Amino acid sequence: MSATLVVAVPAKGRLQANMEAFFARVGLELIKPRGVRDYRGTIANLPGVEVAYLSAAEVVELLAQGAVHLGVTGEDLVREKIPDADRRVVFVDALGFGHANVAVAVPQAWIDVHSMADLDDVAIAFRLKHERKMRVATKYVNLTRDFFSSHGVTDYRIVESSGATEAAPAAGTAELIVDITTTGATLAANGLKVIDDGVILRSQANLIAARAANWGAAARATARSVLDRIAAQTHARAFREVRTRFARCDNALIAEAKQRFGVETPFGGPTSSGMLTLHCPPTHVHALATLLRDNGAENVVVADLGYVFSRADPLYAKLEAGLGPPS
Amino acid sequence: MTSARTIPTTTTPDALIASFERAGYARVAPAILQPAEPFLDLSGEDIRKRMYLTTDPQGRELCLRPDLTIPVSRDYLASPAAGKPRGFCYLGPVFRHRAEGGGEFLQAGIESFARPDTAAADAEMLALGLDATAHYGLGAPDIRTGDVALFCALVAALDLAPAWKRRLIKDFNHKTSLAQDLDRLTISASHARSEYQGVLAALAGSDPKGAHALVTDLLSIAGITAVGGRSVGEIADHFLEQAALGAQTSLPRETRALIEKFLAITGDPHEAAAKLRAFAREGKIALDGALDAFESRTACLAARGVDVARIRFSTAFGRGLDYYTGFVFELHDPLARALGPLVAGGRYDGLLTRLGSASAIAAVGFAVWIERLAALRSAS
Repeated sequence: MSATLVVAVPAKGRLQANMEAFFARVGLELIKPRGVRDYRGTIANLPGVEVAYLSAAEVVELLAQGAVHLGVTGEDLVREKIPDADRRVVFVDALGFGHANVAVAVPQAWIDVHSMADLDDVAIAFRLKHERKMRVATKYVNLTRDFFSSHGVTDYRIVESSGATEAAPAAGTAELIVDITTTGATLAANGLKVIDDGVILRSQANLIAARAANWGAAARATARSVLDRIAAQTHARAFREVRTRFARCDNALIAEAKQRFGVETPFGGPTSSGMLTLHCPPTHVHALATLLRDNGAENVVVADLGYVFSRADPLYAKLEAGLGPPS
Repeated sequence: MTSARTIPTTTTPDALIASFERAGYARVAPAILQPAEPFLDLSGEDIRKRMYLTTDPQGRELCLRPDLTIPVSRDYLASPAAGKPRGFCYLGPVFRHRAEGGGEFLQAGIESFARPDTAAADAEMLALGLDATAHYGLGAPDIRTGDVALFCALVAALDLAPAWKRRLIKDFNHKTSLAQDLDRLTISASHARSEYQGVLAALAGSDPKGAHALVTDLLSIAGITAVGGRSVGEIADHFLEQAALGAQTSLPRETRALIEKFLAITGDPHEAAAKLRAFAREGKIALDGALDAFESRTACLAARGVDVARIRFSTAFGRGLDYYTGFVFELHDPLARALGPLVAGGRYDGLLTRLGSASAIAAVGFAVWIERLAALRSAS
């Protein structure tokens, strides 16, 4: 492998659109030099990156093999397809889109089933009555098995399903299902409900690094500049900048603001002239502004942030901790 | 049949299997490629991640046999001898993904079917298992035994709702679940149940037939039709069973204490039997049938020359497989150099019915981990 950093991303659907919007927001424009049908791309103004457009399943497979450095895909697929996933990949960052819960759903008519413990009872009784085990339709074979095992449910059989899993109970090919659900509407339309403690995984799209990839110095440096932008933008989105200047501003007041509102001080305490810059979570901006004015501030200016670059580089630190030192 | 002391010490598995044949067990060699269904069905989905699975062009799931008990049982059932007393021995590879060594390893073993003298058959399995370790120069392995039938007898004798009995028996082989069950048994009703708690409580004391009709009607009024293989009647039955469970939550603390006291009983078989008799007497629990079977097994073991005082029996001992129904045992290296048992087996009277036999067929057997024994031999 050359020094190029290879990033595998989904090639179609809403996941691709969300992924491209995400990268654009952090200032990384994905471009396809040879047209939209091309499955290879680059990032504008960031040399040394190759973007590979692949199916979600291929992204996971190549991450497991270490054939790509980074990948964007759902945590659900990674945990399902890669045994002992945390040893093979590093979950660098949850990207805030592609939310889906992997959950156990049973027919609504099962008024006797609310918890996994109830399901266990029903599974035993079903085997004794029908002389066969309850069937669970799913494409999440491994997640299902581990989850059922952790709840002591053993009297079931898995029926692998590749599409329209939610129709399996009505079609008579399974008694219950394990599938992804976002709003539950599809499940309800098929007469199914999620069991109270039956959410196996709250999944979303993740930026994932392959431990087995060839992480030379050049690939690491490129990854660092990608992750730095993501971290800087993620941080910027989580805060508003609050600026003010007043003489009575002191460390006790700042300590109070930190404690009450989770405020950060990117440049330390007030300057000698009382200039103060704070970063505050958006929900607490007004309360903070009130506190500052109550203590003597004349004007409080609040602005959106574009990027907050910090020396700490938290995402890259996470990647490097996961990968270990360069070979 | 030979006794442990006259067998020459040899390290070849062929000599071991020859000794099984001399003991009256016909050698068989079932197919290596097996349908996956019976293993998944009888051993549970958990075994799937350890199996080598493949699919034939018709879409049927096949596997490389992960053990030989099920293949030997299936061949016996398919043969004209099915239902008649027969004994088989085997030596060959089995296939499982595992942490130690490769995925292919050798097992020898015995399966004995339809013997009416169950106590003697149980004792013979343990004695032949001891012969097997002696073959490899290990004369005095740790002998660990248990008896699933005793636990089943205890649960049957307890004053508990049927759902709880079924669950406790199922979870006997999954000890963390059993501990969870015992915790749940003693949790107060207030925090355990659903939004239907009030309805369930109201139904608890009512006439079962009327309550059943009510629940069935409510479901049909709501326009809910049964999907997924469970009938409305079945759902109503279990719903009412939950009502009964809800009404029973004041009882269990002493039941739990009783179960835990039972599961703490250990010792050599004579000590354990005495403790179990005392336990049954004090708790006024009828364990007589299972205890009589237990004691006649001990007598048979002594009669075969097994030093009974060396056996460590525990009521809590299980082998983690649902199909065992009675005596279970494992032989271990006293120095714990192997990653698991050297020999393991037990009684599985329910298995052949679950494999499709129309009538119940008694069955008992054991398997020998050849490589583990050979490794110990070369280590010493």
